[in-house]
Amino acid sequence: MAGREAVRKTVQQVRPILSIDRDEARKRVLNLYKAWYRQIPYIVMDYDIPMSVEQCREKLREEFMKHSNVSDIRVIDMLVIKGQMELKESVEIWKQKGHIMRYWKETVEPKPTDFLSKFLNNQN
Amino acid sequence: MSGAIKKSTGLTGLAVAANPHHTLGILYSKILRTLTKMPGDAAYRKYTEKIVTERNKILSSTKDVGAVEKAIGCGQVEELIVQAENELILARKMLGWKPWEPLIKPIPAKQWDWPPAQIKEPKI
Amino acid sequence: MASLLRTISTGLRSALVNGAARTQIVRLSSTEAAKTEETKPTVRKHDVAVREQLSDFGRYVAECLPKYVQKVQLTAGDELEVLICPDGVVPVLQFLKDHHNSQFANLVDIAGMDVPSRQYRFEIIYNILSLRYNSRIRVKTYTDELTPVDSAFEVFKAANWYEREIWDMYGVFFANHPDLRRILTDYGFEGHPQRRDFPLSGYVELRYDDEKKRVVCEPLELAQEFRKFDLSAPWEQFPNFRNANPATEEVPTKKDEKK
Repeated sequence: MAGREAVRKTVQQVRPILSIDRDEARKRVLNLYKAWYRQIPYIVMDYDIPMSVEQCREKLREEFMKHSNVSDIRVIDMLVIKGQMELKESVEIWKQKGHIMRYWKETVEPKPTDFLSKFLNNQN
Repeated sequence: MSGAIKKSTGLTGLAVAANPHHTLGILYSKILRTLTKMPGDAAYRKYTEKIVTERNKILSSTKDVGAVEKAIGCGQVEELIVQAENELILARKMLGWKPWEPLIKPIPAKQWDWPPAQIKEPKI
Repeated sequence: MASLLRTISTGLRSALVNGAARTQIVRLSSTEAAKTEETKPTVRKHDVAVREQLSDFGRYVAECLPKYVQKVQLTAGDELEVLICPDGVVPVLQFLKDHHNSQFANLVDIAGMDVPSRQYRFEIIYNILSLRYNSRIRVKTYTDELTPVDSAFEVFKAANWYEREIWDMYGVFFANHPDLRRILTDYGFEGHPQRRDFPLSGYVELRYDDEKKRVVCEPLELAQEFRKFDLSAPWEQFPNFRNANPATEEVPTKKDEKK
């Protein structure tokens, strides 16, 4: 019963955001990736960040792979739109150095995982 | 206007019309022609035809611009021209939209209920 | 509006009445209405004539655009609301802007609203103003997180920034918007702050780092107690008055009568 319910929900008629089928969505994602990839050298130069181009591209890949499990076309489209806006903000130098460096989260301390450090950190 | 030449409408960006009777007459006949393409029982067609024929009648009854403005009672003749232009564009767009058709989407359940505290069922 | 509504309701009145006489008629009828006995002296009284005009106009809109108008209602006594389906945003606004009898040429504001318990959780609310007839009207439609709404930019140029605000605050995507990007939040900000499920404290905090010599962004650590949010109408202050006054009164349209 639950399975049928799920099927009924997946085939419901919705208005597409940009892409009509999976291939188109995939194409948009790849285009966005390429655009970022090509802009990274300029971003590194313009913002004068203490990162190499390779490190940035690694980060780019990581950011894309974060959403590798997304399968809904509309969610993909939404992420692509946000990614495009972000790219524009970076390329036009609307951002500042700190905004770009946020991707690396350098100052964030990793959360304790084992019991003892959790205990010392007063967490449970 | 009693023979005096009108210098300004007193409204920014709205120039004095050179031959308002001619312009308005053309616009009104164009609107009426567009309306004939709509189905006869469409409320939009009915009401717009009524307004436009009424105004057209006033317009053709007298040559005095001041009297026309007073009789229609909807601003200066230049404003009347703007209104007619808008209506014409709207009527042409309406032909594409076909708003006289029945409701395309029924109201989703609980959509317009207020206050939301009274919505008890969880989201689908 | 006055001229329009009377022509509809009476249908016979000559259009040759001048403006001054018109306002006098309306004013006379409103003073008559105010003479009825006072039962609740502290509650604001509504002008019966104005209400009648507004509901007449609501019926007029519903009759002209039966394809898009779902419901017409009066809120707070004398505020007309037209509730439409999301496909009708552009036609309805264009009609209200350009039709001879409405001429709502000013877009005052676009607002958003989030009610998470609904299937379509967001409401988009357009407030428009007619200077010609000295009247205001509200157009409401709905959407969810992923359904795009048509941009009203082609009708009202003022919609540009308002829609950017809605996009930024609620994450509603506007199709055919010329320049949709963030307007209120900082670059790199994630999430949409006006959604009901966005915590009041946010997810991150910013501080200046002396070592790095720049502003850094860190996830916010809060005890669980402060993160709790109650979705069951926190804005309801007076439960005793829940059913006291109907917030909205539906204006019956021809469509309902046929059913």
